[in-house]
Amino acid sequence: MNYKTFVTSQSIMMTASSMVFPFYLLLIRNIGDSYAQFGWAYGLFALTAALAHPVVGRLSDRVGDKWLLLLYTWGMAGMMLVVPIIENVGQLYVLQIVMGVLGAVQKTTEKTVFARQNDEAAAGKRVGKYHLWTTIWGAAAVIATGYLIDFLTIGSLFYVASFLYVVSGLVMGYGTISRSRREIIVDEGL
Amino acid sequence: MKKKVLACALLVYGLAAAGSMTIYSEQQSQVNVRDVGRLLPTMVKEVRSVQDSYELQEWMKNTSDTISIAGMQHSQGGQTMYPGAVMLDMKGYNKILHLDRKQKKITVQSGATWRDIQNAVNPYGLSVQVMQSQNIFTVGGSLSVNVHGRDITYGSLIDTVDSFRLLRADGTVINVSRSENSELFPLVIGGYGLFGVILDVSLNLADDELYQLRTAQMDYDEYSDYFNGKVKSKSDVRMHIARLSVAPDTFLKEMYATDYVLYRDQSKREKYCKLREKEDIVLPKMMLGLSRYSDWGKNTLWETQRDYFMKKDGKLQTRNNVMRSDSAFMEYENGNKTELLQEYFVPFDNYAAYVDDLRALLEKEELNLLNISVRYVGHDEDAVLSYAKDDMFALVLLINQGRSKEDIKKTEKVVRKMIDVTLAHDGSYYLPYYQYPSQEQLEEAYPRAQEFFQAKRKYDPEERFQNLFYKRYGK
Ligand SMILES: Cc1cc2nc3c(=O)[nH]c(=O)nc-3n(C[C@H](O)[C@H](O)[C@H](O)COP(=O)(O)OP(=O)(O)OC[C@H]3O[C@@H](n4cnc5c(N)ncnc54)[C@H](O)[C@@H]3O)c2cc1C
Repeated sequence: MNYKTFVTSQSIMMTASSMVFPFYLLLIRNIGDSYAQFGWAYGLFALTAALAHPVVGRLSDRVGDKWLLLLYTWGMAGMMLVVPIIENVGQLYVLQIVMGVLGAVQKTTEKTVFARQNDEAAAGKRVGKYHLWTTIWGAAAVIATGYLIDFLTIGSLFYVASFLYVVSGLVMGYGTISRSRREIIVDEGL
Repeated sequence: MKKKVLACALLVYGLAAAGSMTIYSEQQSQVNVRDVGRLLPTMVKEVRSVQDSYELQEWMKNTSDTISIAGMQHSQGGQTMYPGAVMLDMKGYNKILHLDRKQKKITVQSGATWRDIQNAVNPYGLSVQVMQSQNIFTVGGSLSVNVHGRDITYGSLIDTVDSFRLLRADGTVINVSRSENSELFPLVIGGYGLFGVILDVSLNLADDELYQLRTAQMDYDEYSDYFNGKVKSKSDVRMHIARLSVAPDTFLKEMYATDYVLYRDQSKREKYCKLREKEDIVLPKMMLGLSRYSDWGKNTLWETQRDYFMKKDGKLQTRNNVMRSDSAFMEYENGNKTELLQEYFVPFDNYAAYVDDLRALLEKEELNLLNISVRYVGHDEDAVLSYAKDDMFALVLLINQGRSKEDIKKTEKVVRKMIDVTLAHDGSYYLPYYQYPSQEQLEEAYPRAQEFFQAKRKYDPEERFQNLFYKRYGK
């Protein structure tokens, strides 16, 4: 996986997640029947993410960031298939827990990818550029969804997002295969 | 190797996606409906808008679907809904079919609202005999719960119904009146849509009249005497409504009443007969809003409202205009909370003692009560499910509560206690509201309940007409 692959894949992933985020919030708001349940659904996500972070961190040292990122994209692709069909708060809580773990995977690995680079002088520049592109894609996705939603049902939006996660995973998987954890990123794009 | 893994992953993903989409489209083919109580969202198979009775009849002959019937859905306990059923939406079946000015009779399709009728009869100086305080409800929905309102000269709605046509589950249509298929008359009226679809209805009308408002303020224990001496015994008092304070400072003690007295000079009616349309609701809406959240708001609302209504003393209003009071300010959109009604009937003479017991109970319990209005219903046991076992005062309670399971449980506990108090005073409660009462309470308040449910199964042996009320209490 080279830097370009990483940024491309993460940008696609960002597109997918930004696209569904507002609608996902709406959904958890509607499934619960009180703000307390809304609070719990959200809190469970944060809590599991918190507990998962150290584990994920250690795991990334052992198996490599790429595998974790693959786990994340495919995992999220699967979750997006579940979201449209959940019917009650119980299912929502389970979903939030799984997404909490996956969220921790993404957050940790996006940072470890950078941390594992030897080229300290250009680190800031790289992080800046990474955030530029991922955020731009995220913003574009949110805006575009505003228009798209007139034509799509909310359910199909989640399916589109799921597909984008798969694409993001494929890009990641098909990027240059990393041979060792130490040389994950070869900054050739800059 | 890598290719194989990938192919496998894609295959699994594809299957999962297909599965999810199938379930999703299955779920989407059902429709989520709810009534104004918003506590019982229900997945129905289809909402079928009714416009034409022949078309409906043809459809009924050829279907074996379970059916629920909906008017404005202002009932609050799922009386219009049933999971997996076809919900008939009657709102579009709303034509005025015939107005007989001489006989003072009107025939309308059951989806017509009181408002539609008022618009049709007001130009001819006619008026509805019995209806709710507001005019937003359908005639079919009102018949099926046997409503009552501010009028004190007639009993409940059943008194004013001449006849109606009923579409049965097998697709046949029959006439129902006091002389034709008469057994069904007191079952269908107050029958919660369980015997068939009420098609068109003939109702007796009253003359529109000009009333002078008379207001009075009193304590709750003076109310029965006031009503006996100044209202019931006076033939020129035609309508009446009172309010009982829910403000902490005067809780269940202070009252004020408005009587509608026949005005001496009826020739002035025409000057006042223009139907009033939407009123300015900003202020009442805001005050009700404040009273939802604080004692201070409740006290302020009570005092302002009382002073406002007391000042109306002497004002003139036509019957039709009295019968179209605004409820728009009550509309409540909060996502977490809802506002529900309860209505309790107590015999006249037990009123003061009843209010004392109710107060004692509510001072211990937690319930966000926003309003209590008090009306009168004369003894009327025509309908099988009659609530007016005697001359009764009817107390309508407006309750603000959360929509979560715990909130429902909490209110249920208090409501059941209130109903126990009501039953202890030989009272009863009204059925179109949320299914808080227990089975035992239903049977005590409605001694003929079992007879009613058995008749339902006799006339609809396949139980094609269904709703959540029947599901909860019917077996
Ligand atoms: C704000 C508010 C104020 C109210 N004020 C009063 C009042 O002053 N007095 C009073 O008595 N009640 C009052 N009610 C209760 C109200 O009258 C009932 O809920 C009434 O049923 C509402 O009419 P609807 O058109 O909304 O009927 P829906 O709620 O749609 O239906 C009620 C029942 O009638 C059945 N039904 C409807 N149409 C037909 C049909 N064509 N054929 C067969 N069955 C049918 C339904 O299946 C259901 O069981 C009030 C309710 C609210 C929410």
